[in-house]
Amino acid sequence: MRTPRAAAPPALRRKRRRELATTAGFLSPWLIGFAVFFAYPLIATVYFSFTHYDGFNAPTPVGLKNYVYVLTEYPFFWQAVRNTVWLVVAMVALRTVFGIGIGMLITKIKSGAGFFRTAFYLPYLAPPVAATIGFAFLLNPGTGPVDHILGRLGLPQPGWFTDPSWSKPSLVLLSLWGIGDLMVIFMAALLDVPAEQYEAASLDGANWWHRWRYVTYPNISPIIMFAVVTGVIQTLQYYTQAIIAGQVASGIAGNAGQQFEPGYPNGSTWTVPQLVYNIGFQRFDYGSACVVSLLLFVVAMGCTALLMRRRSGLMAED
Amino acid sequence: MSNTVTAGDRPGRTSRSGRGGVPSASGIALRQARRRKKLEWIAVHSVGLAIAVAFLLPFVFLFLTSVMSDSQALTSTLWPQHWVWSNYTAVFRVHGFGTWWRNTIEYAVLGTVLTVVSSVPVAYALAKFRFPGRRLAMMLVISMMMLPPQVIIIPMYLFWAKQLHLDGTLWPLIIPMAFGDAFSIFLLRQFLLTIPKEYLDAARVDGCGEVRTLLRVVLPMARPAISAVALFQFFYCWNDYFGPQIYSSDNPAAWTLSYGLQSFHGAHQTNWNLTMAATLLVMAPVIVVFFFAQKAFIEGVTLTGVKG
Amino acid sequence: MTIRQTRRARRTAAALACTATLALIAAGCAGTSGGGGGQGSTGTKAKPVTITFWHGWSAPNELAAINANISAFEKLHPNIKVKAVSNVTDDKINQALRAGGDNAPDVVSSFTTNNVGSFCNSHEWVDLNPLLKKSGIDKDKTFSKAMLDYTSYNGDQCSLPLLGDAYGLYYNTDEFKAAGITAPPKTWSQFEQDAVKLTKSEGAGYRQLGFMPLYHGYETTTEHYAAQYQPTWFTADGKSAIASSPAFADSLKEQKTLVDKLGGYQKLSKYRSSFGDEFSAKNPFETGQVAMAMDGEWRVSMIKADGSKVHYATAPLPVPDNQVSQYGIGYQTGTIAGIAATSHKQAAAWEFLKYLTTDTDALVSFANAISNVPSTYAALKSPKLEKNAQFQTFLNVAANPGSNTTPSEPNGDSFIVTYQNLGYAYESGKVSNLQAALKKTAGQIDSDLAQAR
Repeated sequence: MRTPRAAAPPALRRKRRRELATTAGFLSPWLIGFAVFFAYPLIATVYFSFTHYDGFNAPTPVGLKNYVYVLTEYPFFWQAVRNTVWLVVAMVALRTVFGIGIGMLITKIKSGAGFFRTAFYLPYLAPPVAATIGFAFLLNPGTGPVDHILGRLGLPQPGWFTDPSWSKPSLVLLSLWGIGDLMVIFMAALLDVPAEQYEAASLDGANWWHRWRYVTYPNISPIIMFAVVTGVIQTLQYYTQAIIAGQVASGIAGNAGQQFEPGYPNGSTWTVPQLVYNIGFQRFDYGSACVVSLLLFVVAMGCTALLMRRRSGLMAED
Repeated sequence: MSNTVTAGDRPGRTSRSGRGGVPSASGIALRQARRRKKLEWIAVHSVGLAIAVAFLLPFVFLFLTSVMSDSQALTSTLWPQHWVWSNYTAVFRVHGFGTWWRNTIEYAVLGTVLTVVSSVPVAYALAKFRFPGRRLAMMLVISMMMLPPQVIIIPMYLFWAKQLHLDGTLWPLIIPMAFGDAFSIFLLRQFLLTIPKEYLDAARVDGCGEVRTLLRVVLPMARPAISAVALFQFFYCWNDYFGPQIYSSDNPAAWTLSYGLQSFHGAHQTNWNLTMAATLLVMAPVIVVFFFAQKAFIEGVTLTGVKG
Repeated sequence: MTIRQTRRARRTAAALACTATLALIAAGCAGTSGGGGGQGSTGTKAKPVTITFWHGWSAPNELAAINANISAFEKLHPNIKVKAVSNVTDDKINQALRAGGDNAPDVVSSFTTNNVGSFCNSHEWVDLNPLLKKSGIDKDKTFSKAMLDYTSYNGDQCSLPLLGDAYGLYYNTDEFKAAGITAPPKTWSQFEQDAVKLTKSEGAGYRQLGFMPLYHGYETTTEHYAAQYQPTWFTADGKSAIASSPAFADSLKEQKTLVDKLGGYQKLSKYRSSFGDEFSAKNPFETGQVAMAMDGEWRVSMIKADGSKVHYATAPLPVPDNQVSQYGIGYQTGTIAGIAATSHKQAAAWEFLKYLTTDTDALVSFANAISNVPSTYAALKSPKLEKNAQFQTFLNVAANPGSNTTPSEPNGDSFIVTYQNLGYAYESGKVSNLQAALKKTAGQIDSDLAQAR
């Protein structure tokens, strides 16, 4: 990367210095942002994680105490980790498969393509709080239309968000409703598959499976990789939908005099990001909250590194 | 609605594979192929229609509930007995609803403008300048983009609340956007990479400095990417719940729609009709904006995943 | 509502500004450290000061009552304006007081006593003892001992009681008559029988339910059940007694019995999801969806305010079969109010707090409006206090020496929440060995407490 400097004549050196100054000028907003909103808080998070800090008394160093507390004593940690892993696996897998499916469908649709695209895309745009409250109502066992219709059809009526074994599947359902982003990505990728390859395949008498296996899949696999890794990272951050669904379904509004702890029902909707909120902003144990933050950071950065290695195109120069 | 980038814009692509058979194909084979195509058409469109209905039905139910009376909304009937349009005016009379709108618009507009202004030069430098460490810079941008907001929330909260006393406002969310947003930088850079070097060189030969090159040449060419970034950021701010929950929840005068909607549900807990009316009102602007800017939006999504 | 009243108050304030009641302001000013906030010491040009008051009330009748109190105060103290923020939770109080700053409140109140330990221990709320002394208020002669206990922690009187709450049984008299029940149940086994008699199933659901036992059924929380068993929450050395005090296992089992007898967790859970808001006219007891309810004294005035057609009576909640002599007890708590340590207007804040918590007329009119238990001896004796038979039940429960509340701990209500989580797991059938689960919960509470220190 580095050009040998010694050989450069003074005029060229001056030019290069000027170029560097221009670059720094263009980059300056981000350089400041990087230092103040990324580097500093990360270092501070590490520092706080080794202290006892309640927001009133100055932080006091406590060594690894917070780590021990979070990993072995704090009641919701492992439950949240298990839930998050469950959600990552289920959501990413189902969303990817469903996204490819919808993408393929939309490329095959000839009449009214605009209508279908809009219908599939629209739910993705619904603000998460609104979409979650809406879903919690639709799936509400006592008053919602879904169980009402299922009952009419003589089908079982699950408790959805109020039943610990159905609450996470309900969240997955909500995430499938918002498939729009993946649909568009896969749609574009599928349209970029060279048609000649399909023609060649059908000349060879390939059936649908062969066409998928030897033409479609190899062509879109980088996009699948991208969708999976970004999906994992997004699901690691899963927060708003889980906390709102729990709150709406619990009937505990978190109003004055009613403490709402996330996770309803039976801790089945705890996710790791909610732990940071619970420990930091409900229990005001900033040190232990930072421990959870750091663990989340390590996992998220691991995934990011994987993405950057496998999709070096993300950083391609031209 | 039909002016988006998909199959419709590239007619040659998908239909080519089925354009008649090979020369040796007999008439029967051709007819069979036609019938198969017809069946496939029916299958594809009916599956599509079923899914589309399933995707749109939630909106229909939400709407129907939003015009029911208080007591009917607590039953599981589907169709309103009386159409209570006044639910919508009732929502607007709820204390604070207007404030939430104002705050959300302020957050979204300021946040979007600041993000675009601060991110474009950074993206341009990352895409077109050669300087030591630019690969590292790009890696850091991607890392920042992927960073869950909860990772740094404790020090950031303490910084804004205890050092600057800006809790109870939306400034802790707006101000950082003046310092570049990683996702926007990434997306803009991916687009700017596709601008041929010759255009920039031509501008430079004409004696333009980098700033003028950016303003005169790059900006007009990057319009689609900039509108996509602006839209994404607008929606991000509009939808943000975690940020307002942490920073502005202790001051009702600084609540946004997302946070207010949640508390609205709390206060009118099972007044599902009012809650649904409010929910639809919060969704409405996003959907309206989408219809006006569909093309830019879908191009933007495509850009995140496919290019580069 | 708030806006209109503040506006009116402002006009009044303007009219009265010149003839300000200087004595009161001056007295307040002399009082405390850091106080003042612009109230001139001479008083001739007393600048108006605005204090922010956070409270949790949200029901229309409650908002009207607290705002009426505020207006009355502002009339007495034209130089002090009160900006009220309603429906505030303890989380938000905790967060705002840590941050300080302009948006933080001056006078704070909370619906529960659960967080007193945390408010006092962290010194988020200032110790009011010196202020009481300076104002010449003998707290022991003013407030009942139980209330002083739950508003202080380790001798730090960081809050004062602002009306009290007691819990009892509401029952639908028409339904009792129809089912042939002549008197409210005194023991849990009688209660089980009555609840089953009052339950009318319909298809897979209910036409009417005798009682909603689930812990998410509004006031039917784990700690309210436990209170009927007179629990010991902590041992003398500060460890959780949840596994050793029989009250916890017994109350959990009793509730589970009710759940099973009334149709099981799934069915009840589904019925619960059709309930209207607790603090609205759609409350399931007011609509007749349930025939009995565990609730606080405020329901008496809410039933009236909501215009509910339900005919009802009240009684103490049942006690265990082997403790019949204890009948009459109940869970007791109250709204508490204090002054934020971050407030720069502590003198004015104290004036307002003193008025809210000790002014007999203010307390009585407030207690009448929202039918809460008055919190001072003077207010309890006041002839203006409206009494009726239904409300009297709760005054009796509050006065019963066996009535009890949850203790104050430095990490606030964390231990209650932890215990509630056990309850949720147990009622839904997720716990097979209750004793082991109680031990584990006790260990959890201990380690959370250790972490908070």
